Amino acid sequence: MKKLKDFLLLSDRGYADLKKAILACTLTNLAMVLPFMVTVMLFKEILLYFTAGEINWQHMWLLWGAGIVSAVIVFLAAKNDYRKTYIASYKESNHTRERIAEHLTRLPMSFYNTKDLTEITTNMMSDCSAMESMLSSTIPPLIANMISSTITCLLLALFEWRLALCIFVTIPFAFMIIWASKKRQKKLFEKQVEEKLTASDRIQEYLEGMKVVRSCNMAGESFENLKQVLTRLKKISVKVELAVGVFMSSASMVLQAGIGITVFVGCRLLIQGKVELLTLLMFLLMATRMYGPILAILGQLSSLLNLDVVTKRMRTLLNAPEMSGNRPCTPGGSICLEHVSFGYNEEETIKDVSLTIRPGETVAFVGPSGSGKSTLTKLIARFWDVSEGRITYGGDDIRQLAPGGLMKNFSFVFQDVTLFQDTILNNIRMGKENATDEEVLEAAKKAFCDEFVSRLPDGYETVLGENGGTLSGGERQRISIARAILKDAPVIILDEATASLDPENEVFVQQAIANLSENKTVIMIAHRLRTITGADQIFVLEQGRVKESGTHAELLEQKGLYKKLFRLQNSMAG
Amino acid sequence: MSQKNKKNKKKNGLARCLEIAAKRKPLVILSAVLSSIAAICSFVPYLAIYCVIREILMVYPDLNRLNTEAIRLYSVWAMLGIIGNLISYFLAILCSHIGAFGTIYDLKIEFADHLARIPLGYHLSIGSGKLRKIMEGNIESIEGFLAHQFPDFVASVTSPIVMVILLFVVDWRFGLASLAGIIAAFVAEFMGYGSGEMKNTMQQYQDALEDMNNASVEFVRGMPVIKIFGKEESSFERLKSAINKYTDWVLKFSLGWQNCMPAFTTIVNNIYLFLIPVGILVGRNAKDPKMFALHFVFYLLFVPAIAGILNKIMYVSESFMEINNNVARMDEILYISELTDNGTKVPAGCDVRFENVSFSYEGRTEQALKNVSFQAQEGQLTAVVGASGSGKSTIANLLSRFWDIGEGSIKIGNTDIREISQEELMKTISFVYQDTFLFKMSIADNIRLGRRNASDQDVMEAARQAQCHEFIMQLPDGYQTVVGSSGVHLSGGERQRIAIARAILKDSPVIILDEATAFSDPENEYLIQKSFENLTKNKTVIMIAHRLSTVRDADRILVMQDGELVESGNHEALYEKGGRYRKLWDSYAQTLEWKVGETA
Repeated sequence: MKKLKDFLLLSDRGYADLKKAILACTLTNLAMVLPFMVTVMLFKEILLYFTAGEINWQHMWLLWGAGIVSAVIVFLAAKNDYRKTYIASYKESNHTRERIAEHLTRLPMSFYNTKDLTEITTNMMSDCSAMESMLSSTIPPLIANMISSTITCLLLALFEWRLALCIFVTIPFAFMIIWASKKRQKKLFEKQVEEKLTASDRIQEYLEGMKVVRSCNMAGESFENLKQVLTRLKKISVKVELAVGVFMSSASMVLQAGIGITVFVGCRLLIQGKVELLTLLMFLLMATRMYGPILAILGQLSSLLNLDVVTKRMRTLLNAPEMSGNRPCTPGGSICLEHVSFGYNEEETIKDVSLTIRPGETVAFVGPSGSGKSTLTKLIARFWDVSEGRITYGGDDIRQLAPGGLMKNFSFVFQDVTLFQDTILNNIRMGKENATDEEVLEAAKKAFCDEFVSRLPDGYETVLGENGGTLSGGERQRISIARAILKDAPVIILDEATASLDPENEVFVQQAIANLSENKTVIMIAHRLRTITGADQIFVLEQGRVKESGTHAELLEQKGLYKKLFRLQNSMAG
Repeated sequence: MSQKNKKNKKKNGLARCLEIAAKRKPLVILSAVLSSIAAICSFVPYLAIYCVIREILMVYPDLNRLNTEAIRLYSVWAMLGIIGNLISYFLAILCSHIGAFGTIYDLKIEFADHLARIPLGYHLSIGSGKLRKIMEGNIESIEGFLAHQFPDFVASVTSPIVMVILLFVVDWRFGLASLAGIIAAFVAEFMGYGSGEMKNTMQQYQDALEDMNNASVEFVRGMPVIKIFGKEESSFERLKSAINKYTDWVLKFSLGWQNCMPAFTTIVNNIYLFLIPVGILVGRNAKDPKMFALHFVFYLLFVPAIAGILNKIMYVSESFMEINNNVARMDEILYISELTDNGTKVPAGCDVRFENVSFSYEGRTEQALKNVSFQAQEGQLTAVVGASGSGKSTIANLLSRFWDIGEGSIKIGNTDIREISQEELMKTISFVYQDTFLFKMSIADNIRLGRRNASDQDVMEAARQAQCHEFIMQLPDGYQTVVGSSGVHLSGGERQRIAIARAILKDSPVIILDEATAFSDPENEYLIQKSFENLTKNKTVIMIAHRLSTVRDADRILVMQDGELVESGNHEALYEKGGRYRKLWDSYAQTLEWKVGETA
């Protein structure tokens, strides 16, 4: 039972509630025995006619009364278990949702860069919903069925062991069939899942490559590919169903053979005078009812055994390590990288990089794509933790600093800007929680937001659509710069827009950046070399290493990679 | 089939599912028949047991007269009933599955095919994620419905009919009593639906669910920003309150059923209570008390079976609501009209002409292009410039007929593109887009998509001209390297050059270039420009330019503003003119001057 708690990732409270829910369901099942008893009593009265030639109608009315009372009891029990299961499961999933959400706030930034964000959200909501329904309508009745079936078994066996044996003798065989087939079923399931994933990949590829599919008139090839995987998926799916069907059907056939055995053996025992007619009738009645719940157990047994699969994604999410560090952070120190190495996977992206950035400096990282420029800035802001060496800020290893405190020291201007469904004013206010409207407007002005906001119907009160809606790239970027201006952090990390804006927009963005970076330490990922000729330090990266460093003039003199790149670019731009 | 669909009246739910499965009608019917047989067989054990009891009671209490032969026969009957039920149910499910998997296979293929024929704009506005979800989720669920719920549905129609007949045939008075019980059960159940408050709660609950989902999407999506600005606390609180609100409503909604559901359960399990008064009232005056006693026993034995059947009906009715939604999602896409493709003409030349073209994207009121006319001469480079949103890319999209225009006409070599077959049009035009897509196949095959029957030599020559031969040779398996396999990383610039190689191989007379908006590193960029030069030699080229530096040498520059063509001419002429182009160019020059670390 303890295992169940882990399987379902339940809290203590949730586990206690689940136990109560199971108990309530068991009570309902047991209450259902009452109508059964009354029915048996009715049989007894009717049998009197055959022995005494008369039925006691008075007794019949009494039994009816007893039946009504027992129905009320069943109702109360059912209502009780309904309340218990639903309240327990919804409260628990509420708790799980909160727990996951809270955990998400403590995860390192790297988590959000590696995982597909939509997948996380789907996880969070749909897995919780799946769990919710498991907790409310699958698990408690199932376990309650097991318990009450066992109790009934025992009671019946005490009452008349020979007939009880007839009813229950088939159960072990049925379970054995299911158990024996488990391996085969699992293999087929796995194969089906695999085919599903392949199909999913192919579909995605087909959809994403739609332009190419059309322009190359390749309805043939890519379609053939798609057809093949879909056909394979179809075949394996039929196989799985066939296997499951065969095993389930034969198991339930074996199980229900108990009815025939009971009838046959029971009658013999009756003739031999070893059992009463009433007892036989009771068992016959039992035989028609007993197998339903057991079949339900059989059907759901495999899903119960594979419970951990359901919670696997949630478990991965909850087990993702939180960010460490708790020391307070003093702003304004130097940033030092000491023999830093790092890789997103086995392959190292950054190899043994050492450098120092002093407060107030403007430094630039340049190099071909994939050389590690943006990785370096991410390491500095601790989106990722380094795998070797260390990064210090004001002398402290950044891994020891409280994550929130460290983050206060950085502002970012990246190309992809996340905006919220809120007013422009509030989107900018992100930068500083309790900033007054005046402060926000001041920052917006410095970031040249006025220019386009004045053209919007409600000005700064305009509510943006999902992720910014209709704003252009340059406009979104200016909002993000306004945020950064408001935040007023000592270090600015700037990813020079690689996406070209139209020239007018670009002028505004550039001026906004100039306002932002006044008197700040600026770390910039540069793509166009002429924008960084005035930088204090330029680091030229190649394949994760610092190849050259120095000022623009020094680097040109070195006649290395920098000079070559600079030449190339100048020749193109003309 | 989709053509046909458009003409048909829109159906939903079960009707539509059966329409979809029409091709596999025999299987579906067979499954329905077998499922009904299974349902009938399921009553046999009850009848057999009743017969056994009847045999016993006929002789009771003198058991020596018991006909053991008959007893044996009945127990065999009970077994046969069980076996018959299971086997026919199994076969029914099997038939329905084969039918269902076949049907969704057809559907998926049809869906995929349809997607390749609707205006491409839908792909952009709907998004590949959602389309995939429809294919994998919504269409897939039709399988579940056809394979499981449909046979169950048939069974749940057959069972009550057989049941009611049985109930009435043996003794109509008991039958009536049982029926009263069944009706009472449903009345109890549906009382929950009726009340206005319940409807309101349901609405609130669904709203809360949607709110929570939206809040969590924004929460996760915004998390990087939230962390950067240290807003974890407040945004968590916001999500938390959405979660709590949902829980409140879902609980209220569920507890709204706290009397109806248990009442239903209670009644279906206690239908015998309806029998007792009838039994007493009838029994007292029965002419044949023995027969009456027997019937009474039959009903007491039989009514518990009703519970199982009624539960099944409830379950099936729930799945009906879901399938409606799923089918609707799918049809939403399937009912999008395909682009007509019945042209037969072949363009007689390669100059491109826009004549008074106006166009607006679906669902937008403002026009993306307003009365645009121009001609791109054969063998010349025509560049289109303008601010973002000015209509540049729309021109490229319309020319390749990813959308059909609203007014005017687009002609290639004097033939309206709508009169050219899709295949012919695609042979005439090549495009190189900024978002380059490579398939998960070998690089050679990716390039060969440009011309299916190209030899390895041709492929390699195209790759050389596109400046990608060198880096391809450095990959682990050279041209046979499969894109996307582990350890193979292609940069954006490299991918683009492969796409250019594809276009070079295709060698079509008209080329649309959507210049990459993203800068690659200088070296890559240099190579890309070189490969462009090889690609565009002697072709009609329309270039959507995002950077002004590249348009200088164009034969003709079209300047777009707010969907209108405001100026055209070559660089010198436009620059001299001092209009919109001059303004763009001046801003551009200013951006070139900018250096980081300098104040504005």
